[in-house]
Amino acid sequence: MKIDTLVRHLREAYRGLRRNTWMSFAAVSAVSVTLLIFGVFLVLAFNISYMAKEVDKTVGIMVELNSDLTADQKEEVLNQIKGNKMTADATLIPKEDALREFKELLGDSGNDILAGLDSEDENPLPDTIKVIPNDIDQFEALTEDLKKYPEEQVLGVDNGGNLAKSVLDYSGLVQNIMLGFGLVLAIMAAFLISNTIKLTIIARKREIEIQRLVGASNWFIRWPFFIEGATMGMLGSISPILITIVLYWSGYNMLNPANEPITIMKLMPVTELSLYVSGTILLMGVLIGIWGSIISVRRFLKI
Amino acid sequence: MKEFFSTENHFDTLILEESDLLTTILLGVLGAKLFIWYIGFHELVYLANKPEEGDDMIEMHDVWKVYSNGVEALRGVNVSVGHGEFVYIVGPSGAGKSSFIKLMYREEKPTHGIVLINDVNVKRVRDWKIPHVRRKIGVVFQDFKLLPSMSAYENVAFAMEAIEVPKRKIKPRVEEVLELVGLNDRMHALPSQLSGGEQQRVAIARAIVNNPTFIIADEPTGNLDPENSWDIMYLLEEINNRGTTVVMATHNKEIVNTLRQRVIAIEQGVIVRDEEGGEYGYED
Repeated sequence: MKIDTLVRHLREAYRGLRRNTWMSFAAVSAVSVTLLIFGVFLVLAFNISYMAKEVDKTVGIMVELNSDLTADQKEEVLNQIKGNKMTADATLIPKEDALREFKELLGDSGNDILAGLDSEDENPLPDTIKVIPNDIDQFEALTEDLKKYPEEQVLGVDNGGNLAKSVLDYSGLVQNIMLGFGLVLAIMAAFLISNTIKLTIIARKREIEIQRLVGASNWFIRWPFFIEGATMGMLGSISPILITIVLYWSGYNMLNPANEPITIMKLMPVTELSLYVSGTILLMGVLIGIWGSIISVRRFLKI
Repeated sequence: MKEFFSTENHFDTLILEESDLLTTILLGVLGAKLFIWYIGFHELVYLANKPEEGDDMIEMHDVWKVYSNGVEALRGVNVSVGHGEFVYIVGPSGAGKSSFIKLMYREEKPTHGIVLINDVNVKRVRDWKIPHVRRKIGVVFQDFKLLPSMSAYENVAFAMEAIEVPKRKIKPRVEEVLELVGLNDRMHALPSQLSGGEQQRVAIARAIVNNPTFIIADEPTGNLDPENSWDIMYLLEEINNRGTTVVMATHNKEIVNTLRQRVIAIEQGVIVRDEEGGEYGYED
């Protein structure tokens, strides 16, 4: 396409938008609402896959050792566990470290409660071995294996339940519902856009008639409408991008406060997520816009 | 009572009816296929035997136009218009003149038969090629069809922009044709500031700006007073003298009888008269 032609198409698209200000506004708003839903969906989807990866990385089985064991015996159990084919890594966490971590977790408020537990003898926590499986699928099998140790060596095995797994399962359902909802809204938004484009087509009826008569190519006639639709989609994606990022940023700061090492949920970093989410929302907006244009151009633009 | 409950008979009739329906559909499809094949064959034979004149611009061979409401606007029209001709299309209202004209600039497709425009079969031409066929045709209407928000200059330039002529070539060419139609001093006026005759001259300038090989004019003087009508006719004659073919549908008896040219008369969808230097021949 020549630059002249492109400039012309852009100008036509702009004129179309200006001509039907209120319809354009309605269409853009519909796109915004749709994309906001998609934005929330994307935040969830990106975070769930991110968390799933993080969980895969950090998930561990805690093996509680009998405190009667000597240091050598503890070392022996550790080596045995390391020898298991399903084990990726195993580390011994002495009870002193565990207590320190526990204190850090409780922060200042925990100082009083734990005040009496500073001395070595009074530490109620057991020594533990943290075992990381090779594969998240072998998680259960490895847990069963570790439970076979006699009580003299191992007091208990804790794999943290299936909290992470059930969170992921539930979110799958939520995601599907949102996706369905979003799709219905996307269809509505596309129809609103197509309606706006239809108004432009009607307003430019005579121009189009002349263009056809003098032999303008079909694409020359269609382009401004596609640009108009895509622009509406693009305009509609601005506010959901901003809202999603701002909301995510505040949510992130709430759930993953800075300077606190232990968090309820480890979320995807804001910058990384913003990049993905804005890109996807923008693309979706443009696609919805072009989709709306196609509907109208096919139905109302006689070439 | 017994018969009422017996279902066997019902089934028999049902099966019979179904097979009848099927046969009808099959025969229908077969018939349609044969018909299409016949038309295709017919066209091939015609194109193979087409006289090698080469300068025919518009050719119609056994052209029928039947609208979806059953109206037969054209019934077996045969005509050819050669390079550089000036042709009047005359006939009563509703005789098929409009359909005839619309076929020429591919606004309509023939229901049956062949329409060749500059050797392009308009029925077979692919959609994306139609614009290229139209670039060789300039069309002028009774109601001018100018864009009201654009000046005379912009209206003419619009036709060049639409076919993506480079900007630097547009200005000199638009000024050239506006001078040809005698409007170079009014080029920045809006259509609403121009008289009917002037508006029609802008429309003609727009029709010729892309150098078409022929001009189709659908009652170009229909909305004009006699004086302006004559101006438009002299202009069309001038354009014709420069080598452009002109086909013009008209109801203007005085013009046809004064500026003698070829006259094609259409009545009830059939060409009833086609004579060089003919008369208008109607009393309206």
